[in-house]
Amino acid sequence: MKEKSDVQQGTLTLMVLKTLETLGPLHGYGVARRIEQISGNLLAVNQGTLYPLLLKLEHEGAISSAWGASENNRRARFYKITRDGRNRLQNEAREWQQTADIIAQFFKLEAGDFS
Amino acid sequence: MRFLRRFSARLMNLTMRRNNTQRLQEEMEEHIALQTQENLRAGMTLTEARRQALLKLGAVEAVREHYHAEQTLPLVESLWEDLRYAVRQLVKSPAFTIAAFITFAVGIGVNTAIFSSMDAVVLHPLAVPRLDRVVTLSEERVKGGYEQAALANYEDWLRGSSSFEELAVRKEADMTLTGAGDAAHIEAAVTSASFFSVLRSTALFGRVYGPEESQPGRDAVAVLNYAFWQQHFGADPGVLGRKIELDQRSYTIIGVLPQSMQYPSTADFYLPFAPTPAQLSDRVERNYLVIGRLRDGVSVQQAQAELRTMAEHMAGAYPATNQGWTVHVESLLDGINGPYTPEYYRLLMGATLFLLLIVCANVANLQLARGVARRPEIAMRIALGATRWRILRQLLTENILLGLAGAVGGLAFGALFLHLTLITMPARVARYMSGWSNISLNGRVLFFSLLIAGLAGFIAGMAPAVDALRVNLVDQLKAGSRSSVGSGRTHRLRSIFAVVQISLAVALVIGAALISKGMNAWLHVADFYRPGTILTFNINLPKSRYGTPQKRAQWYDASLTRLRALPGVTQAELVSALPYDDNGWVRDVELENRPSVPGKLLSTLYLPVSAGYFDALHVPVVAGRVFNQGDSLSSLPVAIVSERFVAEHFPGQNPLGHRIRIGGRNSNEPWLTIAGVAKETNYSLWDSVQHTAVYVDAGQIPPASVTYAITATGDPLSVAPAARNALAGIDPAIPLDTVETYAQLLHDNLVGLAYVAALLGFDALFALFLAAIGIFAIMANLVSERTREFGLRIAMGARREDVLRMVLRRAGRLTAIGLGVGLPLAFALAHALAGMLHGVQPGDPLVFVLMALTILIVALAASWIPAWRAGRVDPMVALREE
Repeated sequence: MKEKSDVQQGTLTLMVLKTLETLGPLHGYGVARRIEQISGNLLAVNQGTLYPLLLKLEHEGAISSAWGASENNRRARFYKITRDGRNRLQNEAREWQQTADIIAQFFKLEAGDFS
Repeated sequence: MRFLRRFSARLMNLTMRRNNTQRLQEEMEEHIALQTQENLRAGMTLTEARRQALLKLGAVEAVREHYHAEQTLPLVESLWEDLRYAVRQLVKSPAFTIAAFITFAVGIGVNTAIFSSMDAVVLHPLAVPRLDRVVTLSEERVKGGYEQAALANYEDWLRGSSSFEELAVRKEADMTLTGAGDAAHIEAAVTSASFFSVLRSTALFGRVYGPEESQPGRDAVAVLNYAFWQQHFGADPGVLGRKIELDQRSYTIIGVLPQSMQYPSTADFYLPFAPTPAQLSDRVERNYLVIGRLRDGVSVQQAQAELRTMAEHMAGAYPATNQGWTVHVESLLDGINGPYTPEYYRLLMGATLFLLLIVCANVANLQLARGVARRPEIAMRIALGATRWRILRQLLTENILLGLAGAVGGLAFGALFLHLTLITMPARVARYMSGWSNISLNGRVLFFSLLIAGLAGFIAGMAPAVDALRVNLVDQLKAGSRSSVGSGRTHRLRSIFAVVQISLAVALVIGAALISKGMNAWLHVADFYRPGTILTFNINLPKSRYGTPQKRAQWYDASLTRLRALPGVTQAELVSALPYDDNGWVRDVELENRPSVPGKLLSTLYLPVSAGYFDALHVPVVAGRVFNQGDSLSSLPVAIVSERFVAEHFPGQNPLGHRIRIGGRNSNEPWLTIAGVAKETNYSLWDSVQHTAVYVDAGQIPPASVTYAITATGDPLSVAPAARNALAGIDPAIPLDTVETYAQLLHDNLVGLAYVAALLGFDALFALFLAAIGIFAIMANLVSERTREFGLRIAMGARREDVLRMVLRRAGRLTAIGLGVGLPLAFALAHALAGMLHGVQPGDPLVFVLMALTILIVALAASWIPAWRAGRVDPMVALREE
């Protein structure tokens, strides 16, 4: 299986955290759907890869999970962002923003600006 | 932080064996159910909706694997699996496992034992924190030669140098202890109070003395050395506060030092040094030992440079005493060890690591044989998808596990080995080797054992594991489990290991044989003197009561008269040092009317003897006369010189009548007229170049301490009690030291070397044994693999002897290659040993030829059984086998 690049992996983490921050507790499917709606093809296939990532985030203490009931009243695992997760999201979002700004600035430059 | 949290969560899961696979299963099922519903709403059929949902989820197995990997620590988990698998595999072939375990255990055990004694004796002889910062300071003649320090110079160093945290001074004193059992001759270290703080040493109980007790009049306190406290005071804790008498002066015992503080190793007592003003300004008597602790960041060289600059100033200020002198600083550890001990240990450790290599080769050889049988198993695992790296890891795990099991056995074996060494060595060894009583299996030793065990397992496992991996998958699976014929490559590898074993064994066996032969020569070096019939002991006349030559001469005269009168005694004589006992006193000597060459001091062995000594020890006087009754305190002082003395100083002349003086320039000793020439006699076992010797009459110039040599008709030791009584009749406060036969005395001097010889001998025997097993195993394997071929040969008309000879020829070829590699190795080892050999050349042809033949015979004998079996193959059975 081809490993995802670091950028994609990092983006996915960030998306999961952001989703849980905005929408509150969600089960795996809910997270996957939300990301699909917003990012289009990033999670159109291989939605299963989300589950190892959720477990990793839980081990890192960024999210927590508990059993609950889903829309069709079946048992489902619900994930919730923790305070650590919020802090992390803030920091990483800021870093992303900075990186994005720098890149954007860079591409805006005209050839003449280099002389 | 985040990483740590994740790691600990995974570790928790691993250790609790918590399993979340169920949770993932449930979550994914729910996921699919929800997606299917969604798809249905989008208008798909039920089957299609479910299919699309599954597709979107992706490869379930891969997710599961990732999930599992995230859950625990995969490396640790597979290690655990490997270990369990390894144990199962090892249990399955008990014969192999036991053989490998025992070889590892012995190999690691001997290494452990030798390392632990080396660790204690050479590396950590004293339990002194940061021992490497402690140095000794001595005065050095610019022309060459070290001396101890003069006290006034020490005082200047103390005040003027900045390289040291602290300096301390000590001197040695021989004293007589009374007031605690029999009178005993003891050795005391008279030290400044700073001695203990330089060494960071505190009392085991009680206390050590402080600066306030280092003043005349307040210094009547004593600290006991541990060993002396044990032997002389029966380890009585009530010894504190007890009063004892040393040289008729009363001291109070205030403390006992711990066992790990054996410095100086000969000291029985520590007494405070209370210098008088006269001593403090003395720059002539250079007989104080100075130690110091370097400040942090100051190197030995820097400290020496600083003191040398000071020495130049001092030479200007006190030209009469300090001109031509500088300072030498060296690490205390180097001083304690001396040149020989570390060399002995390096040699032994090297030889023993050699042995470990042989052990590794042996286990590797066994593994290779087993690897052939395991080939189908490995082929199957590879076919089932195991990566080669995974299998390699598994095989290495198996070997390292074996090595570690060997370490456990090795520690037990090593402890036993050490115990045997310690109980067979004379207790006196502890007096010569500071760390001897510290030998134990400590943490460092444990670490060392585990390390070499892991390494040995790895080394022994590497080649067989790589070899096992190179299986031809298709052939192997096709052939099924029947086939277990090794490839040519495996045979080559095994032959290489057998050759390595033989060649290392050759080196060890020859080295051990050389040293044993030398040892034997050494043990019999003094046979000429019939040392088994002579009783020896030392006495020391204390200065306080025997300060004049008259008193000493009277004592010696009286003692010899009484000893000669004892039943069973044929001769009783005295001397300052017996032949070969390395106890002689080397002194400067000056020849009358002979200009001295600057920078070249003449020295000679100075031997006061009783008149009958030459007759009793069979040292004939070849010219002039022997000492006689006419030589007395009041007559002209005379000397008898050795033949070498004449050859060096009076070549082609008659030395008789010439005068010499002991003690060098400005000596206050009397001039001695040469009255005779004695046959050359060796007084040292070790010195390759013997000293010249000057004998004087102990009745004319009586020394303070002498050794008695009493020839007895029966067992000399049975005369000892009577001798003790006879001497107590003259003065009961004079103790007899080291009462033993001359033969025992010589053996004791050789004990260090005997230790080296015995251990090297053990290494060699075990190496030979392993090499024999190695060649036996490879031949047996060869024969069993080629049974069919041998059967065919016999069926075709080959004679059984031909087959037998064929197998033996192959064994012979391997051994010959082993010898070819091993002999140069042995030669190199022999040259490293050269300093320890006596009466045998490092290249002794007899030893080389005999040992090479021995190894050849052992190897052929070990191959005989497989070869014989090859010759006995029944052609019918062999051909039917396939």
